[in-house]
Amino acid sequence: MFSLRGRGLWVAASLSRQHLPSARLSGDCSAPGSPHFDVVVVGGGHAGTEAAAAAARCGSQTLLLTHRVDTIGQMSCNPSFGGIGKGHLMREIDALDGLCSRICDQSGVHYKVLNRRKGPAVWGLRAQIDRKLYKQNMQKEILNTPLLTVQEGAVEDLILTQPEPGHPGRCRVSGVVLDCWGLNQVLHAKHKFYPGRGFTSVVPPPASQAEGPEFDGRYQKKKKKFYLCAVLPNPMDGSAVHAESVILTTGTFLRGTVVIGLETHPAGRLGDQPSIGLAQTLEKLGFVVGRLKTGTPPRIAKESIDFSILNKQTPDDPSVPFSFVNETVWIKPEDQLPCHLTHTNSAVDAIILENLHLNSHVKETASGPRYCPSIESKVLRFPNRVHQVWLEPEGMDSDLIYPQGLSVTLPAELQQKMILCIRGLEKAKMVQPGYGVQYDYLDPRQIEPSLETHLVQRLFFAGQINGTTGYEEAAAQGVIAGVNASLRVSRKPPFIVSRTEGYIGVMIDDLTTQGTSEPYRMFTSRAEFRLSLRPDNADSRLTFRGYEEAGCVSQQRYNRAAWMKSSLEEGISVLKSIEFSSSKWKKLIPQVSISTSRSLPVSSGERKVQALAPTYVMSAEGVIFVSTLATSFCILACQKQQQAPSSFCTGSH
Amino acid sequence: MWRELRTLAAWGPRSLCTAPGATIFALSSGRGRCGVAVIRTSGPASRQALRSLTAPRALPLARRASLRLLCDPRSGAPLDRALVLWLPGPQSFTGEDCTEFHVHGGPAVVSGVLQALGGVPGLRPAEAGEFTRRAFAHGKLSLPEVEGLADLIHAETEAQRRQALRQLDGELGHLCRSWAETLTKALAYVEAYIDFSEDDSLEEGVLEQADREVRALEVALVSHLQDARRGQRLRSGAHVVVTGPPNAGKSSLVNLLSRKPVSIVSPEPGTTRDVLETPVDLAGFPALLSDTAGLREGVGPVEQEGVRRARERLEQADLVVAVLDASDLASPSSRDFLDTIVAPLAHPDPSGSSPRLLLVLNKSDLLPAEGPHPQPGPHPHLLLSCLTGAGLDGLLGVLKKELAVVCGDPSTGPPLLTRARHHHHLQRCLDSLGHYKGAADLALAAEALRTARRHLTQLTGGGGSKEILDVIFQDFCVGK
Repeated sequence: MFSLRGRGLWVAASLSRQHLPSARLSGDCSAPGSPHFDVVVVGGGHAGTEAAAAAARCGSQTLLLTHRVDTIGQMSCNPSFGGIGKGHLMREIDALDGLCSRICDQSGVHYKVLNRRKGPAVWGLRAQIDRKLYKQNMQKEILNTPLLTVQEGAVEDLILTQPEPGHPGRCRVSGVVLDCWGLNQVLHAKHKFYPGRGFTSVVPPPASQAEGPEFDGRYQKKKKKFYLCAVLPNPMDGSAVHAESVILTTGTFLRGTVVIGLETHPAGRLGDQPSIGLAQTLEKLGFVVGRLKTGTPPRIAKESIDFSILNKQTPDDPSVPFSFVNETVWIKPEDQLPCHLTHTNSAVDAIILENLHLNSHVKETASGPRYCPSIESKVLRFPNRVHQVWLEPEGMDSDLIYPQGLSVTLPAELQQKMILCIRGLEKAKMVQPGYGVQYDYLDPRQIEPSLETHLVQRLFFAGQINGTTGYEEAAAQGVIAGVNASLRVSRKPPFIVSRTEGYIGVMIDDLTTQGTSEPYRMFTSRAEFRLSLRPDNADSRLTFRGYEEAGCVSQQRYNRAAWMKSSLEEGISVLKSIEFSSSKWKKLIPQVSISTSRSLPVSSGERKVQALAPTYVMSAEGVIFVSTLATSFCILACQKQQQAPSSFCTGSH
Repeated sequence: MWRELRTLAAWGPRSLCTAPGATIFALSSGRGRCGVAVIRTSGPASRQALRSLTAPRALPLARRASLRLLCDPRSGAPLDRALVLWLPGPQSFTGEDCTEFHVHGGPAVVSGVLQALGGVPGLRPAEAGEFTRRAFAHGKLSLPEVEGLADLIHAETEAQRRQALRQLDGELGHLCRSWAETLTKALAYVEAYIDFSEDDSLEEGVLEQADREVRALEVALVSHLQDARRGQRLRSGAHVVVTGPPNAGKSSLVNLLSRKPVSIVSPEPGTTRDVLETPVDLAGFPALLSDTAGLREGVGPVEQEGVRRARERLEQADLVVAVLDASDLASPSSRDFLDTIVAPLAHPDPSGSSPRLLLVLNKSDLLPAEGPHPQPGPHPHLLLSCLTGAGLDGLLGVLKKELAVVCGDPSTGPPLLTRARHHHHLQRCLDSLGHYKGAADLALAAEALRTARRHLTQLTGGGGSKEILDVIFQDFCVGK
């Protein structure tokens, strides 16, 4: 009945209906002896894990509540992290000492920086990730985080009290009501049902389609039993958890529905129950609720694909790590896995167009994303075109391939038929069908930039509940919500990243001021200050603030960032100290055009040129800067000289 | 109103924050005794205001003029029999519910109706320019249209009115918006290339397409900027400077053209010592006519200062009217004037920045009726007698032609840039497009396009990054 932190494994604690571990005895708690935490995080996805870890880093006694401990760190959609814009977010998460970047450096199987040829401001760090490794490493990290307790359970309701004066909000959240013990019994009964998956160890989710629905059916049966259990005396007694702040990161679970063809069944993710009680609670509180949809492609057996006829993409050598604290990733480039590229064709179009009547997801009114569209929407909006399909490995020893770009909700047999039309997949075996998910989200204009809700004090939202899509977007919000939930407990001012400081700020500002009508994904084009918000300088933008204002950054990371900062400043001053006439510069670096309008000698780093063997040199408005490490700070220096912040002012907000 | 509009232009987005909900009312026609005065209201309580003043009659049909007896809602005392209009939003000037009361123009009637409106709950007197500000805030008018409206209200000459009306119709705004759309599209191509080209299937040649759009836009901007501030001159008046040697009849010409005695006229040389300005309507074009001291050396310090001011004024001139005494062309002062002032202006430098020249030979009445007329060198000239008025029609005709060149003809051709603001932003936009072409780093190139677009959208308002994304998703099939 307590977490075994520090041992790597954690016992699913609430199996027996006893009290949760009490983080500290609370004086004002209505039910004496009931557990009390500073911060309770509901949901163990990418937002929830980051939120819980961030709150714990900030010094709060934190409880992470999740349906199943064994799904913590699950990558439920694509087997990759990062990308253009998303890679920027990951660097910023890392700068605030978040988890996902470090975990990715331990779990990737194919690292590649996108946009190499387009300038350092838009480089996109990306990696294919081994699902199993990521989950293992994330669970290890979460279960070993000091001050963080993990508990299985489903939240049915919020405990509300009188609002604090001096803050907006109708009421204040002071805890959650769990519906956990019966549910856990059901879940663990299931675990016992399968030999070898004891509930004391971390078990993988049902991996295949064969297991999913079957599991669903059994669950329903068990659920009846659960209700019988629920009439046992005083079920509420052990199910209230008191908290100073509550973070909801329910993902697609709020009234989640999985759609395959014309079949729909309630589920937050294939094989996992949705949260319906909580959705009703939020609606009753007056939150404006919208509906979104997303989808995931089918999974294909690796050995059934003919890779020999397809274009192969090899990883970068050397790999660029996501985290500022890592010099390298865990795996050598030559040991990494390749990706392959294939394309759809007219036969695929035909199958989709002929079977639209069997496809309820596409016709629904809920808004899907324009930028991660299903193959159906691509065919409908851009007919007679060929669409890319990336065949991505799911892990080192996984026999599954994830066909990126083939998100589809047709009935399973038609999905198989469609796959067979594609080059290289002529003999492919579909292991799990693609499916769509429809879910409730809460209009993000109802939250502050700290991610606290306007309506309920000390209630924070992060992740897909705010209408975003993507692991990185969710994780970034998780960090901010975790930090702010903790700061709120200690009555400190909120930690807000502005849109001039980071992509995190751009995203939260967009969401909280403009809302969203489709799942929100990060792009570099959303950032007005793109030239200064680069992946390479995320630490100088956020680490110091995170250390000083939020306390979410470790001393070690702070020292490292401080060392980097002083090195850069030294480098810049060296560069600036070197002055030649523009004709001399022209002789030294002939490929660069130097504006002669400036009569003063142009200063730059000849010493850097020699010391660092530059990859390229570029000029803007007469200032030359030299690349490799120097690129980043030179652009920075250039901007500081050339562009006062006011010249960046835009009309967008 | 005018001052208000200027602050509005500076404020931009802040004006959008004006508290909604309040209903405003004001006398919209001029003050003073008149036949009909128009009182307007705008805001959600307009309906209530109209009903309480016209009770017990029902609300009139929307957008139909109806005759109603207006009564003070508190006392019930009749105020006036008036034509009322009910203009429900959003199809109204401000975009809100509006009413208009066309009442008889006596001061007592107007103040009575205004007082009655002030007594209706939720109504307050409008601040200066508030109706227009609300129209802007609700997207009914773009910034150039607001400026055009202000110009229309202040238009004094025919050509000014035509220009203001064109601008109010949104021609300049439409042009800028179409440029901004082109630029948004080009930017969207570049942004799509940055965000999606590696991972998703973009069609070929996206960047080349952006380059083409930018080149076409550059050409359009350059040709438009060449209008050389004609629109601004038309709006604020062209500078017409009358100059010449002493006692050539400059002041007489100014008095003749302005049809009033602006300057003292005497046979004594050096009568005019300061610069005298008078705004005149010259054949429909606005002009600021400046009478200057006769140009000569070796006189007293006061007149010398006048000569210095005259030369200074010459440098600001859009059109120089050089006046000479036709009967005295051979004198040293006339010859000197022809050599130092007229000759350089007659052969302007190719940049086109020097003013245009009109050479007038005054005192034609003193010339012998027959015989060869004097020739002031190779320059084209006009003969005039300020005394008899002979040659005045010819002069006015030529002046009109010259002013049309200087100010531009507002009824034909592309809409003109009427303000320095327009010129500034277009020039900056053009500069940024140059940076776009020069940038090797695509992120820097995109930044240049963003800056260019920002300058265009500052002309019209609007322009967020969301619009770029909309174009990206409309034009490309992107996504994993």
